[in-house]
Amino acid sequence: MKAAVWVGLGALAALAAAPLVLEPYPLTLLLQFFAYGLALLGLNLLFGYTGLLSFGQALFVALGAYSAAVCTRKLGWHSFELVLGVAVVVAVVVAVPIGLLCVRYVSIFFGMLTLAFGMLFHSFLFKFYLVTGGDGGMLVERPSLFGMRFAEMDKTMFLTRPFYWYALGLLAVGTVVMWRIVHSPFGLHLSAIRENARKAEYLGVEVRRLRLIAFVIASAFAAVGGTLLGVRTGLADPELAYWTHSGNLIFMTLLGGFSNFAGPLVGAGVFIFLQDSLMSFTQYWRLVLGVVLVVIVVLFPRGLVGLAQSLVARLLRRRRDAHAHRNA
Amino acid sequence: MRTGTSRSERLDPFSLVISFLDILLGGVFHAAVLFLVAAGLQLVFGVQKIINLACGSFYALGAYTGISAVTWALAHGLPRGLFLFALIGAGLGLAVVGPPVEALLRTVYRRDEAFQLLLTFALVLIIEDVLRMIWGANPQELGNLYMHYGTVGKGALTVPAYNLLVIAAALLVAVGLGLFLKRTRFGRLLRATAEDRETSATLGVEVGRVYTVVFTLGTVLGTLGGALVVPTAAASLDMSVDLVVEAFAVVVIGGLGSIRGAVVGALAVGLMRAFAVSFMPEMEMLSIYLVVIAVLILRPAGLFGKAAA
Amino acid sequence: MPTLIETHDVSKSYGNFRALSGVTLAVATDEFVSIVGHNGAGKTTLVNVLTGLLRPTSGTVTFKGLDVAGVGPVRLARLGMARAFQLVHIFPGLTVRQTLATAVVSQTGKAFHLLASLDGDAQVRSQVEVVARLFGFEQLDLEARSLSQGAKKLLDVASAFALRPEVILLDEPTSGVSTADKHQIMRVLVDAAKEFGVRAIIQIEHDMDLVSEYSDRVIAMHQGQVLADRTPAEFFGDRELVATVVGKRRARE
Repeated sequence: MKAAVWVGLGALAALAAAPLVLEPYPLTLLLQFFAYGLALLGLNLLFGYTGLLSFGQALFVALGAYSAAVCTRKLGWHSFELVLGVAVVVAVVVAVPIGLLCVRYVSIFFGMLTLAFGMLFHSFLFKFYLVTGGDGGMLVERPSLFGMRFAEMDKTMFLTRPFYWYALGLLAVGTVVMWRIVHSPFGLHLSAIRENARKAEYLGVEVRRLRLIAFVIASAFAAVGGTLLGVRTGLADPELAYWTHSGNLIFMTLLGGFSNFAGPLVGAGVFIFLQDSLMSFTQYWRLVLGVVLVVIVVLFPRGLVGLAQSLVARLLRRRRDAHAHRNA
Repeated sequence: MRTGTSRSERLDPFSLVISFLDILLGGVFHAAVLFLVAAGLQLVFGVQKIINLACGSFYALGAYTGISAVTWALAHGLPRGLFLFALIGAGLGLAVVGPPVEALLRTVYRRDEAFQLLLTFALVLIIEDVLRMIWGANPQELGNLYMHYGTVGKGALTVPAYNLLVIAAALLVAVGLGLFLKRTRFGRLLRATAEDRETSATLGVEVGRVYTVVFTLGTVLGTLGGALVVPTAAASLDMSVDLVVEAFAVVVIGGLGSIRGAVVGALAVGLMRAFAVSFMPEMEMLSIYLVVIAVLILRPAGLFGKAAA
Repeated sequence: MPTLIETHDVSKSYGNFRALSGVTLAVATDEFVSIVGHNGAGKTTLVNVLTGLLRPTSGTVTFKGLDVAGVGPVRLARLGMARAFQLVHIFPGLTVRQTLATAVVSQTGKAFHLLASLDGDAQVRSQVEVVARLFGFEQLDLEARSLSQGAKKLLDVASAFALRPEVILLDEPTSGVSTADKHQIMRVLVDAAKEFGVRAIIQIEHDMDLVSEYSDRVIAMHQGQVLADRTPAEFFGDRELVATVVGKRRARE
């Protein structure tokens, strides 16, 4: 565990120093990474640790973005702390009834129900344009961070300095919180549910209630990620709620490796940079991503982090065997 | 196909009935196409327990291929009246796609369902770009070709004969599938494998071969649906992802794994959409999702499906 | 002796098939009860009813005076009843330590502690180690799926004990275990029960040696009914009874 802490701190330092070294464009990609990292931390709690595959997490990401839009644009509330609070509250309020309905079912049905809810929201965002702005989306205005407006900065400056560090801070806090959750007694019970829900019941694990809590936590994380996305692009877009966006979230989780704490973060990072590089390379980037997904699912189901872990394990074993051989 | 009359004009009972029938027929046509795709989904799920997220992609593939097939055939001397056969040929010809895709899916059969879903999701991504590569990003269509078969009916209620043909074709497929599953040896084999994979294997059933056939059949139903719909609607890249949700709605309402369910579910969704579009366009898809959620809560097995949670 | 579990005239039918009829029994503190009978006699159905998994078609089931018909496993664990199955249930990817900790977390009511550290929890750690020591688990960080079949079974039973239940129901706890080990396991069970304050043990058992040596009471099931409810000595003394219930092949000579 100690190693993980050092790696985390190192990554945090490197990311914090990035604005001093990198161009604005990669910094905005990193912003995307922070947003998706948060959303994926939540999804991994639900999927990797509790075993529930939700095809509707994008709903909550969209809720976050639209909360930011409604707060800043329609209500004139520019305090980002307030926006975050609203986004989390909205996500929880929506997640509780949906969760109550969905956690009664498992695997396919859970996936289908969450997909249906996700698309329900998408439909609502798309069609009720008087309320939601329709397919044009809703604008998100620049928020103030801890009361500071940074009015003298242009958009790029704002996004790549103060907002960047704020978002990084959010991701860091989110990571620490999720780490604690995953290593708590609650986290253990979630893993028990994933491994064998029936046996878990017999050991007194309140399966439904815990699944609901995991679902709600995941939704809150997704919403926070959504607010970051909304501020970054300045727009809350109905396509954020489309089912393929949920599919991408799962793709990212698998890419990094689920049931593995760092997996989703690695997955988010790799996916975003991979997608970006591919997009500038070819217009058929979806094809490449699809092939990558096939390769991962078929050959490396434990994702990149899992692959790295087994490689390291193999290396260590070889060193130990060589050592033993030498000493024999 | 539908004339856009405002509410105030539809006051006399006769035109109300006409409008109603008009909408009804539109709904049934849509249902016919949906049924084909959903039946493919049901077959594959019923036997292999795979939910194919790429069903919409096969549908789109059928649509684009259908357009190319018809265009090519007409340019090479096919009489206009026979364009339907070019479409059917395209739909059926795409059966070649089935076995390789099934072979790919076979690598994850034993694993968690999540992996199967993700693999089919990967196919969605891949196929979309393949379509983009071959046909480009702009929607394609066949213009008014389908009107070659003329219209049926008179006065305010006229329906393109093509639409009736498609509905008839879907009915034929429905009946044919039903007979196939109940009366033929292979059909019974299918149902046995669906019930119990292991026992069937020990009884000498080549489960692998059954799976390949079933998946290919499911694929063909999807591509056929796409090919048949394309004269009346444009083929676009969005088709693949848009259809998935509708197909899911059909399957949930009708019950997973049931062909009868596909018929009823398709009618439900097709008609709901048709009426929603006429009276409350904002509710078009919303109404469907609400029904899906209601069904999943009240009767998760759907109308004809088996056990749920 | 206060009664812990009680059934009164319990019947369970599936359509025309009567799995249980008119079962009335009571289990009190400090009793070790063995339920015997051949397959299909209704033993598992009875245990399912006792543990709130099945709702009886008629009759009542109470645990510590509370009606537990169809109450479900979670609530039951909360009330103080634990159960281990004949078919081994494990958490494949969890370690021995984690498996036992799952039960301890339930028992100490810590399931909703979202931000507390599990590894740093001394109470959980020590309770896990007590259970592990008693059941002979030395390597606590092995994944459950890598254990031998016998060890998996033992882990399953151990995790039930880790709940510190008042009553524990075991379904053939020594099946699949070699004869030499059977007695050892039974001794472990009895010791564990004492250690954890388990007030009554109910087991389904086919091995008659074990039944006679460790039980206080034998409940013989036959075709859904309780044919006899006696002490082992009385039960095994009645050869005809034994033959009916167990089958001539296994009747003691």
